[in-house]
Amino acid sequence: MRVNPNPYPDLLAAASQTQLQINMDEQEIASGRSVNLPSDNPAAAGQLVQNADQTSQTDQFQRSIGSIQGEIQNADSALNSVTTALQQAISLGVEGANGTVNSADRAAIATQIQGIQGQLLSLANLSYQGNYVFAGTANQTAPYVLDSSSPSGVTYQGNSGVNRVTLGSQFSLQTNLPGSQLFSASGGDVFQSIQDLITSLQSGTGISTAVTELGAANNYISSQSVFYGNALNQLTAQQTYLSSETTQLAQQQNTVGGTDLTAVISNLTTAQTSLQATLEAIGQTAHTNLFEYLK
Amino acid sequence: MSSLNASLGTALSGLIAEQGALATTTNNVANVNTPGYSREQPVLVASDPVVLDPLTFGTGVTLQSVESIRDPILESQIQQQTQAQGQYSTLSSALQQTQVNFTTSTADIGTSISNFFDSINQLSTNPSDLSLRQGVLTAAGNVANSFNTTANNLSQQQTSLDLSVVQQVGQINQLTQQIATLNGQVSSLQNVGESAGTFIDQRQQAIDQLSSLVDVSVIPSDNTLTLITGNGAPLVTGQQSFQLQTQATPSGLHDVYSQGNNITSQITSGELGGTIQARDAEIPKTQNELDTLAAGLANAVNSVQVAGFDLKGNPGTDLFTPPAGSGLGAAANLSVAITDPSLIAASSDGTPGSNGNAEAMYALNSQPIIAGQSPTDYYSGVVFNIGNDASNAAAEQSASTLTLQQLNDQRASISGVSLDEEAANMVRYQDAYSASAQVITTINDMMYATIQMSTLTG
Repeated sequence: MRVNPNPYPDLLAAASQTQLQINMDEQEIASGRSVNLPSDNPAAAGQLVQNADQTSQTDQFQRSIGSIQGEIQNADSALNSVTTALQQAISLGVEGANGTVNSADRAAIATQIQGIQGQLLSLANLSYQGNYVFAGTANQTAPYVLDSSSPSGVTYQGNSGVNRVTLGSQFSLQTNLPGSQLFSASGGDVFQSIQDLITSLQSGTGISTAVTELGAANNYISSQSVFYGNALNQLTAQQTYLSSETTQLAQQQNTVGGTDLTAVISNLTTAQTSLQATLEAIGQTAHTNLFEYLK
Repeated sequence: MSSLNASLGTALSGLIAEQGALATTTNNVANVNTPGYSREQPVLVASDPVVLDPLTFGTGVTLQSVESIRDPILESQIQQQTQAQGQYSTLSSALQQTQVNFTTSTADIGTSISNFFDSINQLSTNPSDLSLRQGVLTAAGNVANSFNTTANNLSQQQTSLDLSVVQQVGQINQLTQQIATLNGQVSSLQNVGESAGTFIDQRQQAIDQLSSLVDVSVIPSDNTLTLITGNGAPLVTGQQSFQLQTQATPSGLHDVYSQGNNITSQITSGELGGTIQARDAEIPKTQNELDTLAAGLANAVNSVQVAGFDLKGNPGTDLFTPPAGSGLGAAANLSVAITDPSLIAASSDGTPGSNGNAEAMYALNSQPIIAGQSPTDYYSGVVFNIGNDASNAAAEQSASTLTLQQLNDQRASISGVSLDEEAANMVRYQDAYSASAQVITTINDMMYATIQMSTLTG
């Protein structure tokens, strides 16, 4: 059978094909990625788009948690201070209810409790990064203002709105409690009960009832303030979950689009050997034909 | 009985024939590296014998013709494969260029959409914060930019492919003209019974080049060739070539005409076929997908935006300039409609601290707002499609390249010049020439002897 007398084009094509393989392997090793262009592995490229989006979302959830944590921590410690202040007021009220205390002493106690009232007002008007924390969603103005015409001595100017923030693909968290629910709830109105205690101390009647009322308000607000503690715990738990998700996503990214170095280097070595062999073949075929031997 | 003179004639015919054969070898050796050259072979036949009853004597040898060795069926297979190779290599390189727009970077569409939704999630943590609102506006602007840039790149690529269409049609016209001329040269030689091997080789090479540009069928007829495109548009008939024309459509792209008929969509292979496929099918497909994504996203965001309230408590207005109803050009023209960050409608109740509407907007991230898919799922499908098309075209290209290589190898094994063979032939012709010359010397001696004899007797 007659064979192709000019094998060079074939050999050169084979060499350039091998060179292409070498280039691709080298690029893969250099980038650490097996999918550098969508055509390298279309299905993997599609998955990597989704992986990148999920990773970006997870990172964002972590940032959002960081942003929320500060406000919730502040709210939590403010409510702890409220409880402490209320307990102090209750002690003072019990002291004033004692029959041995004269009216001048009761007036002095009432003045002390008025101080606590002011402290409570400022705690209820807690502001964090320009937002009033206990104002509901009407958070650009102070929720409580002094109002002598009101029986509780204050008026609530906030609303009952609450915000939820999405912090995971299946997780969202309520981030605030409005003042109407914390300080001005019926049966647990902090400002009303403290005002009632002051009034009773000044008049000398109904002090025990007022103390009981304040005790109820204190219990109520303590039960409500658990919300913020819970929220902080949930944020911490979610952070842990998101971290593990980030790790998982990174693993998935590596499985789908990462380089299997051992395999690629082995391919590269094979390709290099093959290229060398091809080039040697070209070099050797170059010089022999019958004309050489006809002398 | 044959005479010495006749023998001298016979020996002389050997000298002449071997000289001719040697000339063929010389020409083969000279053309060993000429592309498209088919080796030539002398056709030696015994001359008509002389009958001198009861004996028959041969009268020597004639170099009847010099024929080029080629396989017409193989040639037509090579043409077909060259067309496929031209088509897929053009398509593949176009798609390689297209898909670069869809690799993950800091500014690709997928990343910009992720960042946009991330910025809304961040705003949700503090909806009255102006810098976070500005962050959403910036991210929305980046979404618009990434769509605009990608759409523009696709249009530019389409324009440059269009330029290729015009250039390729020009090349086709040049080649068909060349083939028509060669047809004339071949038939004028063959009509007087001469070998036209060289012109046939040149014509074959022009046809191969033409095949790499367009799907072409070759119909051989007496001493000439007719060429038509795959769908029957004439390119060459005998010595006449038919020029293809290009004509701009209202969109600015050029259609291909033959004899007044628009044959653009019928050209399916060769480089021209590949270019048209990339220009008229692949790029528009991707453009449509981007338009669907851009329009779907803009409309969904806008409808949430108008359902909420801005920082001042006013009802929200469109965040993105509403795309055209058809969605056509949505990606190229996507833009942000507002510049004042306080106009982002994050609030669901009109108070500045409410994030209800920002949450609703964030939820679009996972809702089936683009042809039944979430934005990221849809975009991931776009990336898959372009990657798949590019990968298929590359696979077809390398398969057709390989087949073409094998066919060319086969052609070379039939038509290629082998120096070994030529060296052997040269020795053969040289030996035969020497032998004939020796015979002439011998006859000369015999004649001399005969003349001497007559002198002796005379």
